[in-house]
Amino acid sequence: MVNPSGGRKSKVTAARRDSKRPFYILLAVLLVAGIATIGYQVSKPAAQTVFTMDSTIQLVANQGHVLGSDTALVEVVEFADFECPACGNFATLTEPDVRTRLVNTGQIRYRFMDFPLEGHANTRAAHNAAWCASEQNKFWEMHDAIFQSQDRWSGYATRRPLPVFEGLAQQVGVNVPQYQQCMSSRKFAGHIQSNYDEGLRLGVGSTPTFIIGTKKIANNMSYDEFKKHVDEALAVARAQRSAGTKSAAGTNAPALDVPREAPRRP
Amino acid sequence: MTRRMLTALVALVGLFVALYLWLYKAGVIGTLACGAGSCETVQLSKWATLLSMPVAAWGVAFYAVVFAVAFALVQDRFQGSGKLSLTLLVLTTWGVIFSLWLTYLELFVIHAICRWCVVSAVIACVLWVLAVVDWRRMRREAGLSV
Repeated sequence: MVNPSGGRKSKVTAARRDSKRPFYILLAVLLVAGIATIGYQVSKPAAQTVFTMDSTIQLVANQGHVLGSDTALVEVVEFADFECPACGNFATLTEPDVRTRLVNTGQIRYRFMDFPLEGHANTRAAHNAAWCASEQNKFWEMHDAIFQSQDRWSGYATRRPLPVFEGLAQQVGVNVPQYQQCMSSRKFAGHIQSNYDEGLRLGVGSTPTFIIGTKKIANNMSYDEFKKHVDEALAVARAQRSAGTKSAAGTNAPALDVPREAPRRP
Repeated sequence: MTRRMLTALVALVGLFVALYLWLYKAGVIGTLACGAGSCETVQLSKWATLLSMPVAAWGVAFYAVVFAVAFALVQDRFQGSGKLSLTLLVLTTWGVIFSLWLTYLELFVIHAICRWCVVSAVIACVLWVLAVVDWRRMRREAGLSV
């Protein structure tokens, strides 16, 4: 027996199913593509960020701004850009611990080197502002203030960052007329460029980049990661010292000819 | 391809975008493919967290629910459901308002633009437009059938 109405019904159902087929195919394609993309992002090997320095390369000798004791066994060099968000994160989240636990305890000496990146519209002005504050022994105060207020003066925030920097200079206790004169003369532009060139010579290509002992780490770090690299460098330095060889600090001991500031408690 | 099917597909794309941002926020993905944008500035700002949850996680939940409702509307048994159509409209209206608020924060408070957040905002707007069209059509059909 044939049921004509049942046949019509099954034809309608089949037609509906067919009309949805492209949708289900597209849905499956999207699902597979989405899961594959996310899976790739999660599992892809991280770009190499830790490099061993060539032992024949002479490290930074007398540039930048230094915090910490001359007798510290290890010197950490940071190449940073004031407008780089990762540098801002390091400066505001990790660096306070680094200063309290490693610099102030005499384990490391910390050197800040300018590495203003081309893509950042206001970073040169920020580096100039920090240098002009350093002329009045306020580099680290200005360094902290600049990083903490990145969202107020970055290229995304304003095309006129100078009034913001002037406010920060006033806030950290800089003599403003002297600061203004320094800023308008751009007297430290050469020092900033020289630090940048030093970074290029050492193969720095991104910020922040740290040199800790013989390791170059091109990445932002948590305090624990930072401490791990410092501990390794300290172990090498201690072994060298006990073996009577030149210490790790000695290989890049500063003979400063630029403003150098005494250690301070953050 | 009906607008409801399109809604489900667009919601699925939004879900993957939100999932990508959430996994970054959770530290599972190292860096965001952000080009000239400032995704990290936005994602690491205090505005990237709401009620102790990453905003991106709320985004995943939002897109998952929108996808589920749109997928249900595609099925024959829910084709005539005015309630589900209205639910879709309410959800996507909320999504658009929230996206506008986030875009305002990016432009005027954080002063940085995250391109993935912009993509999500555009997706939320597209979903809203589709939901409005669907709901209006449902109302018109309901009016005709009375």
